Amino acid sequence: MLYRNFNFFFLVWVLLTSLTACQEEEYILPEPISQLTNDCLKRTIGPSIASLPIEFAYAMAIPKSQGKLVSAQVEASIPGGTGTYLEHRSYYTNSGGVDIPVTVGSPSTAVDNGKSSKVTFTVDTNAVTLRYYYIVPDEAKGQTVSFTFSVNSSDGKTASYKMGPYNISKMSIKKNLTVSNGTNAFISIEDMAIYNATSAAAIPDKVDLVYLYRASPASFTHALVSPSADAAYLPSVTLPTGLKKSTKLRKVFGLQDRNLANLQFGIYVDDIDLTSVDMTDMPNYAIGLRAEAGVWVETADKKYRAYIYINSVNATGSAVLSMLRYTL
Amino acid sequence: MTIYFKIILAVLLLTGSFFSCEKDSFVDEDGLLITFRSECFVSNFELLGADFVTVRAAPAVIDTVAQTIDVSVLFGTDLKNVYPQFTLATDCKLDPKITGKMDLSNLSDSKIFTVVSGNRLVRKPYKLIIKYQ
Repeated sequence: MLYRNFNFFFLVWVLLTSLTACQEEEYILPEPISQLTNDCLKRTIGPSIASLPIEFAYAMAIPKSQGKLVSAQVEASIPGGTGTYLEHRSYYTNSGGVDIPVTVGSPSTAVDNGKSSKVTFTVDTNAVTLRYYYIVPDEAKGQTVSFTFSVNSSDGKTASYKMGPYNISKMSIKKNLTVSNGTNAFISIEDMAIYNATSAAAIPDKVDLVYLYRASPASFTHALVSPSADAAYLPSVTLPTGLKKSTKLRKVFGLQDRNLANLQFGIYVDDIDLTSVDMTDMPNYAIGLRAEAGVWVETADKKYRAYIYINSVNATGSAVLSMLRYTL
Repeated sequence: MTIYFKIILAVLLLTGSFFSCEKDSFVDEDGLLITFRSECFVSNFELLGADFVTVRAAPAVIDTVAQTIDVSVLFGTDLKNVYPQFTLATDCKLDPKITGKMDLSNLSDSKIFTVVSGNRLVRKPYKLIIKYQ
């Protein structure tokens, strides 16, 4: 009896499922856009760092029957740094993958005390995509920034699109600093600069590291060493008077930050990396450094942490470094 | 039909009761399977620095009779922050466990690592001897 009842219910269930599965979903024709419209995307990935651009692509369109585009503008909650602008050219990509510009308006002007960038269209156009480059200003560090993109059309309509808020990193960046053995060999994390012995002697409290190159032993080669490190790691080095800082260093390999590596690779060092890296018991020297390696740095007063990336090395005793610095 | 069903059920219950009474002793305190293997040795040793790049100056010399591992490290190696890596015979485990970076900077006090065989009956302590190049 139980078996029969089970069979019956099973049959009903199969029947119901088959009915549902056969139901046809009607296709609904999408409504054509009949008014001024806009859209935006952020092209830059990775942390937003002061002095570097954040790039957007702002698309706008209006049906031909409604009129044409008149002007476009972007307003940032914090005025952008020097070099912030809204492109007055639209781009298409040719068969070789190269972006080809087409001028559609007059070069952007800064309005509203630098908060906004505005482009007025000089050609009759109904649809266009403009790029916007926002240079993160120093004063935005640790804050958030938002953007309002808007477009005006000849029929008196306005459309706008909000982007953000985006967190701005507390890091500072300095790229392509050349260090050389015995000459420009003194590194200041605070100043994010390289000094020679004479300049270093004038600011001993700011010098955190010494760059040196030794061909022997073979494991030494390119090195970053604290002024107060063991003499074994500063062979034949006469330090300028007053240099005595002990800076902690932690070697890293395979961390090629995209910003430091001049837009190669796809890795980013962010604020959280610099705050969370464990620098406990780390030595005050890093020897055997090579191209594409790096070091985490913590200054003796624990005021700064930095990531120094080795862009390139030269066997004659020089190297090119880039650094990200975070104020703790 | 019903009789057959009852017989099958009874057999299943009986088998289940046998299994449930058996002693659960196939895994050790770490949840690792205890096997019948008695092999107990270190087959390879690696030492990585804080950047996870080797700090060895030459391949480690493993003496399975004297139960020693001799490794010379590069000049300037920071032995306070190193990651030892042992390759063991099948089913073996290491005591103490390596859970992260280790401080092996005290060269006068060689660290002892014990290899435990798959059947957990053989224990062989290996002395790790590190010296600078």
